[in-house]
Amino acid sequence: MNHKVKKVLNVTLTYCILILVSAIFVFPCLWLILASFSKTGSIYSFNGFFPSEYSFDSFVTLFTDTNMYNYPKWLLNTFVIALFSCLFSTILLILTAYTISRFEFKARRHLMKGALVLGMFPSFMSMTILYILMTQFKMINNLWGLILIYSCTAPMGYLVQKGFFDTIPISIYEAASIDGASNLRIFRTITLPLAKPMIVYTALTSFTWPWSDFVLPTLLLKDKDCYTVAVGLMSLGETEFSRFAAGSVFVAVPIVVLYFLLIRNMVSGMTSGAVKG
Amino acid sequence: MPRFINKGSEKVKEDCTSFADFLSISNWKVRLSFLFMGLGQLFFRQWVKGIVYVLIEAFFLWFMIACGGRFLVGLITLGTTVADPWTNTGGDNSVIFLLMGVFTVFVILIFLALYIDNVKDCQRTYLSTIKGRKPNTFKEDLANLAGRDFPKLALFVPLLGVLIFSVIPIVMMILIAFTNYGGTIVPPALVDWNGFGNFKTIFTAKGVGASFGKILGWNFLWAFLSTFLNYFLGLGLALLINKKCVKFKSLFRVFPVLAYAIPGFITMIAFRFMLSLGGPINYYLTGGFQNNKAIVDFLGRDSKWSARLIGLAVNAWLSVPTTMLLATGILSNINGDLYEAADIDGASKPKQFFDITLPYVLFATTPTLISQFIGNFNNFGIFYFLRGGLYSDGYFLASDSDLLINWLYNLSINNNYYSIGAAISLMIFLITSTISLIVYVRSPSYRKEDTYR
Repeated sequence: MNHKVKKVLNVTLTYCILILVSAIFVFPCLWLILASFSKTGSIYSFNGFFPSEYSFDSFVTLFTDTNMYNYPKWLLNTFVIALFSCLFSTILLILTAYTISRFEFKARRHLMKGALVLGMFPSFMSMTILYILMTQFKMINNLWGLILIYSCTAPMGYLVQKGFFDTIPISIYEAASIDGASNLRIFRTITLPLAKPMIVYTALTSFTWPWSDFVLPTLLLKDKDCYTVAVGLMSLGETEFSRFAAGSVFVAVPIVVLYFLLIRNMVSGMTSGAVKG
Repeated sequence: MPRFINKGSEKVKEDCTSFADFLSISNWKVRLSFLFMGLGQLFFRQWVKGIVYVLIEAFFLWFMIACGGRFLVGLITLGTTVADPWTNTGGDNSVIFLLMGVFTVFVILIFLALYIDNVKDCQRTYLSTIKGRKPNTFKEDLANLAGRDFPKLALFVPLLGVLIFSVIPIVMMILIAFTNYGGTIVPPALVDWNGFGNFKTIFTAKGVGASFGKILGWNFLWAFLSTFLNYFLGLGLALLINKKCVKFKSLFRVFPVLAYAIPGFITMIAFRFMLSLGGPINYYLTGGFQNNKAIVDFLGRDSKWSARLIGLAVNAWLSVPTTMLLATGILSNINGDLYEAADIDGASKPKQFFDITLPYVLFATTPTLISQFIGNFNNFGIFYFLRGGLYSDGYFLASDSDLLINWLYNLSINNNYYSIGAAISLMIFLITSTISLIVYVRSPSYRKEDTYR
């Protein structure tokens, strides 16, 4: 009897904690969604967490009132940057990781150590110089400048992908090359299909990184019409709170949907990187 | 054991293990390639490759004579003439001098690498002619690029990109740490080399030195606390959801994943709004702003510890889901038989946790734990969004919750103290690299890279 009571208590407690944790995670999101339906923009007109009046106005002004805050333009900028960075980063990253994992060449160890050391420098260290470089290339207020930097520095994060490629048995490759397949052919017909979850993971992370980065865009995009969503939303004050909420909801929803669709790939990507370093 | 090939009556060493070997494997054609890139290849009748090599050296010589030499001198002097608007003379821009100097050094290094490559290529051709083979045609060389030399082809673009946008900026910043660039000394004023002056300033100057000590201490505390908190909360959550009695497991995972998927900057700004003076938390504390004395300034000037604790909490909100997902993946890999055996042997649940689960999870996540520690040590976003732009009393251009990385941002990007910022970056680098090298090099995943193959 005592044992049973203990068990019931255990189960109840577990559920209580889980429900509490879920509430903690879901509450801020709900609050933002509620706020985006507020009729008045300012945070001061809210009754605590709840708007005093509800309407779709924030979403309408978000896309129509573009004089001060050109949200549609920001969204377009972000999308262009994210799409192209995702494309180039994924190609460069997968290529680098595959080559380093698959081939034994002289500089291999040196490259890996070099990347490790480079990764230890704080990321802002190079910001000032990147700004000077970009002024030299005449690429301030230019979306392609950002795409260039995101894509070119992407191969530095090759370790997770390399960890994944390391788990593909080398005998498969040997069999293929004995059969006379060239490296490119092996890559196309064997590696790519096997690495699909990893490629999805890479593409997703390199797509969402430009969405949420704010340091580089703040530095390189000075013109208000060139802002990305992150920089633009940051510039909104307390009186524009519901506009911020509406803008955030609009940005977050597609990404959240993407994550939920691809969560399996995400987890396998993360764990393979974790076990293998 | 060196290998030799017979060439008539004499023996030629085939593999070079020392510089003397490198020089000894030669005939007159190889020696020509020592003299000028590509000549050897031309005499082996490898026309296209030879011409490409000759052009590379010609371009290099032209570059060095036309401007490279000037750039190298500029790297040492950092400019000598100040711009004078009265006589309308354009002065030297020290930063551009530095940039071009570093660029030239890299051009020279790349050229040297190509030069050695050229000689080695010639030696290879020479050795294969001794064996009675014909020198490779251009077509065969191209085919090699897709085969044996594939890494060269594949890594060319990534390496070039990383070189320009990561290596050169970092090298320049390291150099800048030893100049007096910043403050009032920005172009058109001339920048000069300064030795260890910036480091001296950081450690001894009144305002800067005191701030550095305080910020460094908090930075370490923050990194330990937040890593510890996120790790065990995430692990705990994963274990809770994994419990046998819990139904709707995937439903309970949905909410953390939601938090994980929302871009971090949105949540951080949202939390700032929530805790702001006019925000909802204060609304309830003051009874709808009836009693304005009760307003709490959670993130303001005088709220050092409340801001720090809120930072920890917000960071946990953002990072616990990641650890949870990771731990869930790892937990599913543990062999269930272990627990069954432990049950039969009568081990209690806590004992099973400490003797089976925790060691396994710790082992599998050591690399991530380090990277999370480093990530938290350099966690810029939290305090930038919660308290950005706030400067506290007793701190030089920083708030009392700022980490070194925030200070670095304030100094070098908001206030133009470039050289001090660069010196601080170097110190952050020293700290993080020492920590992770010690742990990483000892970790099994580095030493036994090929165990799973």
